[in-house]
Amino acid sequence: MPVVSPHPDQWTYWESCFTLTRRTPPPSPPSASMLLAAEPENPKCFAEGRKAFTCFWEEDEERAGPVEQYSFTYAYQNENGSRCPLTVAPAAGGKKLFVCHLDRIQMFVQLDIQVHRESVMIHNRSLLVELVFLLDPPENVTVSSTGHQGQLNVSWVPPPLKYMDDSMIYEVMYAKEGDPAGQVEVARACSELILRGLQAATRYRVEVRVRLDGITYSGYWSAWSDPVWMETLPADLDPLIVSLTFIITFILFLLCLIVLLSHHRFFIKKVWPTIPVPDSKFQGLFTVYGGDLQEWLRQTSGGLWVTSALLYSEERPSPVEVLSELNLCRSLASPPLPPKACNASTQRDERELSNGSDSAQTDEWRATQQQHWLMERLRETRPGMGSSLLESQDTYVTLSTNNHSEEDHVDDTLEEALPLEMHVASRKTPLSEFHSDLGSGQQSSGSGRLSSQSSFEYPSQGWTPKGPGYTYMAVADSGVSMDYSPMSRVDDLGKVALYANEYKNEIPPHRRPFLTRQYHVHDDG
Amino acid sequence: HWTCPGLPSPPRPICDLRVLNHFIQEARDAEVAMKSCRDGCGLTELVSVPQTTVNFDDWERKNATEQAQEVQTGLWLLHQALGLLQASMTDVDLNNHIDNSIRNLLSINAVLRSLNIQEYTPPTSAVGLEGTWKVSSVAEVLQVHVNFLRGKVRLLLVGAEACQQDVS
Repeated sequence: MPVVSPHPDQWTYWESCFTLTRRTPPPSPPSASMLLAAEPENPKCFAEGRKAFTCFWEEDEERAGPVEQYSFTYAYQNENGSRCPLTVAPAAGGKKLFVCHLDRIQMFVQLDIQVHRESVMIHNRSLLVELVFLLDPPENVTVSSTGHQGQLNVSWVPPPLKYMDDSMIYEVMYAKEGDPAGQVEVARACSELILRGLQAATRYRVEVRVRLDGITYSGYWSAWSDPVWMETLPADLDPLIVSLTFIITFILFLLCLIVLLSHHRFFIKKVWPTIPVPDSKFQGLFTVYGGDLQEWLRQTSGGLWVTSALLYSEERPSPVEVLSELNLCRSLASPPLPPKACNASTQRDERELSNGSDSAQTDEWRATQQQHWLMERLRETRPGMGSSLLESQDTYVTLSTNNHSEEDHVDDTLEEALPLEMHVASRKTPLSEFHSDLGSGQQSSGSGRLSSQSSFEYPSQGWTPKGPGYTYMAVADSGVSMDYSPMSRVDDLGKVALYANEYKNEIPPHRRPFLTRQYHVHDDG
Repeated sequence: HWTCPGLPSPPRPICDLRVLNHFIQEARDAEVAMKSCRDGCGLTELVSVPQTTVNFDDWERKNATEQAQEVQTGLWLLHQALGLLQASMTDVDLNNHIDNSIRNLLSINAVLRSLNIQEYTPPTSAVGLEGTWKVSSVAEVLQVHVNFLRGKVRLLLVGAEACQQDVS
């Protein structure tokens, strides 16, 4: 078995008695496989240095004959030919390698090679030795950090070939760990290269190979050197990026602060909404009476119910003006009717009564008359207010008393609570009647008196609503505000009976004329 | 140290081998062009050309003077051979290449002078001159031209003492 050695200087020779025999080591497996793939012509030939030159060809072991059948002859230009002794070496895949090695070569001159097998030429080739160099891979490949991020410094020792240093080119292959492919950088006539653009804190594999540049010398790429691993430096925070980030953050903070300060009231309202305090609506309730509502109610004048926007926020209290009590001509409480109206109504009444009409018809006629009279009075006495009442207010209320029980028990009007019927005129309808029970219960004991503003002041403890079918009137100090639900509108004026509401207050019957006078004064006023 | 105004300064040594590489490339272009020549590209007589064979051991055994003489003789022989081609060529394209090659040979002589290589004038007749070949075709002349430049001329420039001083 021939000794396999990677370097031609280490090849051994021996000399027999009869023949000069050289122990020619076969080409190294990497070289042979590389040339078999790279060189199409036969025999494959390569120069390993300035002196060593090897040629070989491959044949199937089954078809190959003994080495004695083959002859390898070569001749330089304008020189006589010579014969090269052949050796045989096994190859992979059931192949044989026939090898010719020459240790004295001439360059820059054409070399003609012929291979014969039993006087039959099987291979023929002409070449220039300086153009078929196959060098050893670079040695002592070293990878180090340059001190800069994303860089590695690769250095190596070129093959020791005199006169050829400036004709060598190198390929540096580098790949990240786990990446089978990689990138290649080319270096010419140098033994150092800086890899740039690498990822930080990443482990890289680096390999180098060499060949001659092809101008004066040429050849094949060498095998790759043994891989060298190296990790790049970790990423540094760019001071510029850090400072810009800080500045931008600071600017954003200032902007937020400016927005907050400019809209601080809005944010305060959203975060801490104002808790409504009823002080403004219940004056003195907390400051004077310490929140005692009963006491406050007791102490407030007249026991007036407070109605306000809190309760009836959508409606302003409409001033109610009491124009008259019912039964204008017959009742003492009724305001004196104008002569015409009174007479007309009286006459009518008498007619009605004399005719024996039922009370409903009489009432109906009376109601109509009263409504008309009231409307006229409104217009006469308070032209502005009346019109304003009619125009500006949606409704106005006329109060009238009715002696239903006139025949029966007049005296009981004081004891009994008679509902007071109110005529309410609205804008839409000339008169809308609302039944309202002013809720005079028998238990009313408070004094009720009519103010000049025709407002009722109800006893604080007093009347209670009779039922859900009745409407209730609540009166404020400065006016009368009503909470009523229209039971009928517009056209039912005649159908509504008129009631007289005699409050069970301290108004004695004998005061009616006083009241009447008050009304009268009010009406005239 | 004294100065003498008017004396020309010695030429700066041309050690950059890229100059020679350029000449080599143009010589190769001429050789390639010769392969496409069919008519009017033959020699009517044998031409002496320098031998191009280089054995590194043999070359290193010669001294600088011998090396310089061998190179300068070869350049002279090539100049003579290319001159004969120029006279006998009728192919215009090939003639241009040959003209270029002759100019390059003169430039190489200038490079050698810049390296302080002693100028050598070969004998006027190449008969009996050692280290020569006889060729009969234009292709062989151009092939020798390329190989001579790549071989011996380059070895001489690489090993020139003037260039060794710049490297060190």
